[in-house]
Amino acid sequence: MQFIANGFIYRKSNSIIHKLDPRVKLLISIQLFTLALLVSDLYNLLIIFVAISIFSLLAKITQRLLRTMIFAAGFSMLILIINYFAGYSLIYSVQIALRFISIVCSTSLFFLVTSPDELEYVLRWFRLPRDLVFAFVTSVRFVPVILMDTLQIMDAQKSRGLELEKGNPIKRIKKFVPILVPLIINEVIRSGELAEAMESRGYGISKKPTSLYSLKLANYDMIVIVITIISFSSIILLGY
Amino acid sequence: MSVKDLIRFNDFSFKYNSRNDKVLENINLSINSNEITVLAGPTGCGKSTLLRAIVGLIPNMYEGEYTGEVIVDGIKIKDAEIKEIAKRVGFVFQNPENQIFMFSVERDIAFGLENLSLEQEIIKKRINEIMETLNITHLAKKAPHELSDGQKQRTALAGVLAMQPKILILDEPTSLLDPKTATEFMELMNKLCKEKGMSIIIVEHRLDLVLKYADKLIILSNGKIISNDTPENVFDYKKDVIPELSIPFSTKLYRELANNSMKFSKPVTGVEDMIKEVKK
Amino acid sequence: MIKFENVNYNHPDGTNALNDINLEIPENSITAIVGNNGAGKTTLVKHINGLLKPTTGTVRIKNEDTRKSSVAELSRNVGMVFQNANHQLFADTVKNEILFGLNNFRFNEEFIKERYDFVIELFKLKKYESISPLKLSGGEKKRVCLASVLAWNPEILILDEPTVGQDELQKTVLLEFINQLHINKKTVIVISHDIEFLWRLQPNIVTMSGGNIVEIGNSEKIFRNEELMNKVGIIPPQIIKIFEGIGIKDEMPLSLEDSCTVIKNLRNS
Repeated sequence: MQFIANGFIYRKSNSIIHKLDPRVKLLISIQLFTLALLVSDLYNLLIIFVAISIFSLLAKITQRLLRTMIFAAGFSMLILIINYFAGYSLIYSVQIALRFISIVCSTSLFFLVTSPDELEYVLRWFRLPRDLVFAFVTSVRFVPVILMDTLQIMDAQKSRGLELEKGNPIKRIKKFVPILVPLIINEVIRSGELAEAMESRGYGISKKPTSLYSLKLANYDMIVIVITIISFSSIILLGY
Repeated sequence: MSVKDLIRFNDFSFKYNSRNDKVLENINLSINSNEITVLAGPTGCGKSTLLRAIVGLIPNMYEGEYTGEVIVDGIKIKDAEIKEIAKRVGFVFQNPENQIFMFSVERDIAFGLENLSLEQEIIKKRINEIMETLNITHLAKKAPHELSDGQKQRTALAGVLAMQPKILILDEPTSLLDPKTATEFMELMNKLCKEKGMSIIIVEHRLDLVLKYADKLIILSNGKIISNDTPENVFDYKKDVIPELSIPFSTKLYRELANNSMKFSKPVTGVEDMIKEVKK
Repeated sequence: MIKFENVNYNHPDGTNALNDINLEIPENSITAIVGNNGAGKTTLVKHINGLLKPTTGTVRIKNEDTRKSSVAELSRNVGMVFQNANHQLFADTVKNEILFGLNNFRFNEEFIKERYDFVIELFKLKKYESISPLKLSGGEKKRVCLASVLAWNPEILILDEPTVGQDELQKTVLLEFINQLHINKKTVIVISHDIEFLWRLQPNIVTMSGGNIVEIGNSEKIFRNEELMNKVGIIPPQIIKIFEGIGIKDEMPLSLEDSCTVIKNLRNS
């Protein structure tokens, strides 16, 4: 679980990719994602693959991305086998598998180089309703906390003799009740406290809250935008 | 410059819709600026409800039967907009984890200021000032899971103080801290109160840690105020004290000795006073 | 009874949490583990019931290496009551909550009934028997947690911050309860910041800081060592501050009554 999760969790770094405006990072990921969907021949898919690898090298996140690739590769093997046995040619099946890996990796790339803070700024820039953005931000912020709570509850119940690994499947599912009940209650209580804290700090007073930082495109960002759009368009045009 | 009656309760009673009896009954109370008020009492006595009534969570978030008045800085809480209250009252809850919403310390401190629609320049200035005051400037870009409990608490405090409230409410601030950190925290509260003239209300069980800083001690029991006076007067040996209250040892010793005919110039609420009295 | 031999523990991410711990906790003792937040107190006690196993070194309970046993096996003899009652309570009735541990350890019916009746009486929970523990107040919840752990009669009992959120009366009951366990030959380990409570309890004290054990001693020795206390983030109990301030150099009075006697004698001389 942790293995896979590490492929999607933000990693601090000062690489040239990390320094980009988050909207540009999003643009890059969307371009890679779209290319993977549009392009059909093996040759072009390999180019996309190489592009992703170049980005991951520049962003110094190759190790993490590799984990995503392995996870995706496992899945795509399954896709490959199913397609092949469904009657499609081997080459076609390989294309589909590669496409899947590229889609997953381009998504992973975005989350690895974009901090949750930047993510929030992007969502706000899209003028999404503040409540929605805030709900998203809070969920991501509290995931590690909820995980800690789960571990602590498991510790407490293990100390009372609960053995999660033993017993037939039905018994083992029942054993999760002493874990889930306290967890759910804790998180419901937590939500209540969060709501109180939000209210007391004036959440919702204004429909147009101001912001600590504003997103501004630097020259660097503009150059990267131009380069990627040109490359993106070229690949598509060349494909036809 | 001290302001009297910064907070006033006039015959205030409250019953939650979800419960059968009143949680607070006939509360009459006056709290001034430039003072640290400690609120104590057994669990379930209504302390949290009282705090919620000051900050407006009652009636805005909790419904029930609301009788009487709560007036804060001249505003009647019952009819006031959250906006008006949030500008004046800051609430630091017991668990700092549940008050830090954002991914970095400085973004979280900015939260309240963004809600108040302050200009970016002012937001930046206030954040820098408060981080300076609380000694957390080096933590500005850190994520909440990278902070210790004490640091989380100071972050939560910073987020509230940045809004420059006149009144600061703290719910059991020492419960997660070790005694040394707790003492440092109380020193900070004392400094804030004297330098900025704030009115600080602290709910606490651990009277031994906070009593020496209290200008006023209010004891609540079963929804009613049973004491509201300076700590010396509350613990005067001639007066009874409910057994659930954790009285500091120096005070217990004073009461025991005074009840056995030893003479004291005034009631003892701390270690230094006790030492002075015995040496006389 | 409990032995830590050259124990080091590293978190999964590599950071060191316990550094070269050598500790012996004798049978039938009352020990308090004290130190600032992050010193490693909870990490230490989790090695006693096997929740954590040392990275290097050995932890022995009655001479058996904890690595040889599962948490469930060790927990039969080592009961742990965690700081947050809400991390433990889940059952639909207090009765089922208390029976949970007893059932997990597969004791025979007679023993279960005997122990259940004993703890429900001891903790005065009979009237809450059919109520869900989730509906009780903070203090009552803690009693249910204590009852449910003590139910299976472990020889070693570990309490993590048992006084937090408790009022004076509840603390006194807790104190009597721990002393009673001691009389019944149990080994008790307490993690606590509540110095005043610890002074009344008079346990052996293990001070920790930064993953290390700094010093071990009895309450009087530790609470009079200002330099040590500063280092591990604690302050002396008021009784010590008062009597040292007055000028008493030898043994400190332990209780309120003793303190009164000492002061009266001072006055009279």
